[in-house]
Amino acid sequence: MKPEKLYLTEAGLAKLTHDLREAGARVIAPVLATESSSNPVADYREIEDAGRIALGGPLPRLSLKEFFLPPTEALLSWRQVKGDISLDQPSGDYPRTVVVGAFPCDAAALPVLDKVMGWDYRDDPWFGRRKATTIISRACAVKDSSCFCPAVGLSPDSLKGADILLVPVDDSGNNHLVEVLTPAGEELVEAHRDVFESPPDEGKADELRKAALDRASENLDIEPGAIKSWLESNFEHDVWADIADRCHGCGACASVCPTCHCFDIIDEPEGIDRGTRRRNWDTCQASLFTLHGSGHNPRPEQSARYRQRVMHKFAIYPKRFEEILCTGCGRCSRACAAGMDLPEVLRTLDQLASSSEKQTEASSTGGVG
Amino acid sequence: MRELQELSSKLLSEGDVSVVIGYEEGPRGVRPAFIRTPEETNRLVFDHRAVQNLAVYLSPRRAHLRKRGRPAVVIKGCDARAVAGLLRESQISRDDVVLIGVRCGGVYRDPESNGPLSEENVADRCTGCDLREPGHVDHLVGELPSEPPATDRRKSRIAGIEAMSPEERFDFWSSELERCIRCHACREVCPMCVCERCVCEKTDPSWVESSPHLRGALAWQITHALHLAGRCSDCGECERACPAGIPLSLIKGKVNQVVEDRFDYRAGDDPDVPSPLGDFRLEDDQEFIK
Amino acid sequence: MSLYRPHLVRIVDLIDETEDTRTLRLELTDPEVAGSFEFKAGQFGEYSVFGSGECTFCIASSPTRDYIECTFKKVGKVTAAMRDLQVGDTMGFRGPYGNRFPLDEMEGKNIVFIAGGIGLAPVRCVIWNTLDLREKFEDLTIVYGARSVGDLVYKRELDEWEERPDVKLWQAVDPGGETPDWKGEVGFVPAILEKAAPKAENSYAIICGPPIMIKFTLPVLEKLGFPKDRVYTTLENRMKCGLGKCGRCNIGHVYVCKDGPVFTATEIEALPPEF
Repeated sequence: MKPEKLYLTEAGLAKLTHDLREAGARVIAPVLATESSSNPVADYREIEDAGRIALGGPLPRLSLKEFFLPPTEALLSWRQVKGDISLDQPSGDYPRTVVVGAFPCDAAALPVLDKVMGWDYRDDPWFGRRKATTIISRACAVKDSSCFCPAVGLSPDSLKGADILLVPVDDSGNNHLVEVLTPAGEELVEAHRDVFESPPDEGKADELRKAALDRASENLDIEPGAIKSWLESNFEHDVWADIADRCHGCGACASVCPTCHCFDIIDEPEGIDRGTRRRNWDTCQASLFTLHGSGHNPRPEQSARYRQRVMHKFAIYPKRFEEILCTGCGRCSRACAAGMDLPEVLRTLDQLASSSEKQTEASSTGGVG
Repeated sequence: MRELQELSSKLLSEGDVSVVIGYEEGPRGVRPAFIRTPEETNRLVFDHRAVQNLAVYLSPRRAHLRKRGRPAVVIKGCDARAVAGLLRESQISRDDVVLIGVRCGGVYRDPESNGPLSEENVADRCTGCDLREPGHVDHLVGELPSEPPATDRRKSRIAGIEAMSPEERFDFWSSELERCIRCHACREVCPMCVCERCVCEKTDPSWVESSPHLRGALAWQITHALHLAGRCSDCGECERACPAGIPLSLIKGKVNQVVEDRFDYRAGDDPDVPSPLGDFRLEDDQEFIK
Repeated sequence: MSLYRPHLVRIVDLIDETEDTRTLRLELTDPEVAGSFEFKAGQFGEYSVFGSGECTFCIASSPTRDYIECTFKKVGKVTAAMRDLQVGDTMGFRGPYGNRFPLDEMEGKNIVFIAGGIGLAPVRCVIWNTLDLREKFEDLTIVYGARSVGDLVYKRELDEWEERPDVKLWQAVDPGGETPDWKGEVGFVPAILEKAAPKAENSYAIICGPPIMIKFTLPVLEKLGFPKDRVYTTLENRMKCGLGKCGRCNIGHVYVCKDGPVFTATEIEALPPEF
């Protein structure tokens, strides 16, 4: 489908937000969490009017993941009357939701996670929320030293996971070229045709897109394919102990990550005759994650746990689902209290990969000379 | 800096220690460094960005680090409070570690800051610091810089919360703790969280619900604060590590204040001074157990 | 119905295998579910006690029977709660999950079953499955060892297999673990296997037990001539969802819950050493 192009002004966005809410949808957008101008922080939150949307950044602290795989959710509840147990489960109706101003690195994570959530068994809460949600991404102009989306095959204006992409057309950042990308996007545009203008004023859209890509490409230049092969054939390596020395194993990286999806299932009694079975975020960085009842732990040390996180993202998931389990958002680096830095680790692995490739070449040609 | 690098190089080359844990330039400001050879000691830095409390790497929970050999650790006066805490509680023994004290003129709140220290960017704990020159160390390096600027930011925030009605206070903490995702980064970076298995991960019975809902988050943060009463070294790492930006040092600051008011005690750098909850005095005011 | 919603099952029988190991026989309470419920040897389930949580075990009974049995040791919160349950109580069961032992492939072949301790549970499922369809298989040999006589599980069944002419049972306890009236072998499983010396030709081996036992038994199988892709085992890793989502049971790129729990020795060799 060739993307249909429209135009959305600041006033149009305000009306769209208003009309979506009037029509019963929940609107989620990045909003500033603090008034402090020196160190602004943002979160994705439900909004009541477009005035609160922080389109220009910063990147929200947590990714969009929390709206599809919430930090905690009830899977079922039980009740016991005498010996009889009855089960109840959430209705499976998820509120109609529109995300306005999703960062492309967050939107891209959703189709990546669809793979694991949908292979063979379909995770109904995940797909229920996916189906109920339309994603309006906005081409990103934010970039700091931790961003690296181009290194994992994405870009600040990536279409992946978006139903509609907004591209700023001027330096104000408030007026946008609109690219309609999917049937869900089309449906939304059809229902709110009056807020969009056509033909679009493309303004400086192309120029701004290119500038953003150039900026984002500066941070990291790696070959994910080579890293994958190296990881697959070098499971045991001294590099991990050195990398993981400073790691606290706290898993803050996994909490803020748009693609980390590991979870726990636990029972919470509420009194003696009833309770809730919940699904909670969990992380491979915790030593309890793999601890067996017998006391045996297949990953007893932090170096093994950090390796698992990198392996899962750059070798296991690509092998299994043909997707890198990372969108280059850089949140893990920003959130880390110990200064662990995924771009730096990837650079190290890339160097190891390319030097081992050279070695292989040298040894394979060595016999000839 | 040079003095620190030379000392570290000497310790490593003479085989006293197998690693020097200090600070280095990282991708986002200064970060913990693990220096294993004399040649690498030129990476060591120390300035206002040296925010992190490296005593956490001495904790018995970091057994994997211990396996890699005896460490020397660069500590500021405030970090020495945590080292003293670990010694006081017999979590480490003094011979396990070489302590390199650094004279300190204060640190930023955020290791990514730059420019001169100011009321805005200085860490809360630096105000009125009486440990700018840590005692009970093996080596002491650097000149004593001038005093850091003072800030009453945290004090006034705590006063603001104290002035709230119980309902307002509950609403305030509810709105903050609703963001808690129970990653427990606050615990993992805490040098005084020494338990092999945290009470909030005990399952039989579950004392603290593990879910990131308000009930669980409240239970966890209250438990954490109470377990640190009289032990907290006030390094502020819990708050700095929180990916959800919860102002945890307000809770710890308040508890520390209560301990100080009641027992005239602040965690210091002398391991031989007992902590109020690890000690009994006849003259203690015991009105709370009447 | 939600993926995470368990079937309700009722405990219809309870057998104490050893001091700390118990078998529960479970029946699905909903007749409709029971009517369509099927599983294959080697598959596992998520068993739950409401209020305590879920726990992963293999299905220890044969698919030829119309009940589900699990055998467990009390090691944690859920198993402790399971031990407190009585006949007539209700629990949850999700499953069956995972792959299976390729019994159809094994038809017309000899099978040697090798197990240690509670590792007999998943093997016992296949033993009964083959015994219930006895004419489809050639020689069946069981080599089973435990630390002591008190640690042997399924004692009544061991006695039954001992009596049966159509299966050869070698049971053993570790040196020092025997009682005065012990009539079986004394020694470790690898040595007993060597003594039993089942023929490798036209044969499969199914092995399950503590890692140390497996480690020393595989070379014996190799010496006897069993090709590695005819040696099957079942892995236990910590799991939560059983559905290939929660990320807990990864060993390299393998999801034990979906690619396993049954693997050949060849497959195990290719895995990173993280289990």
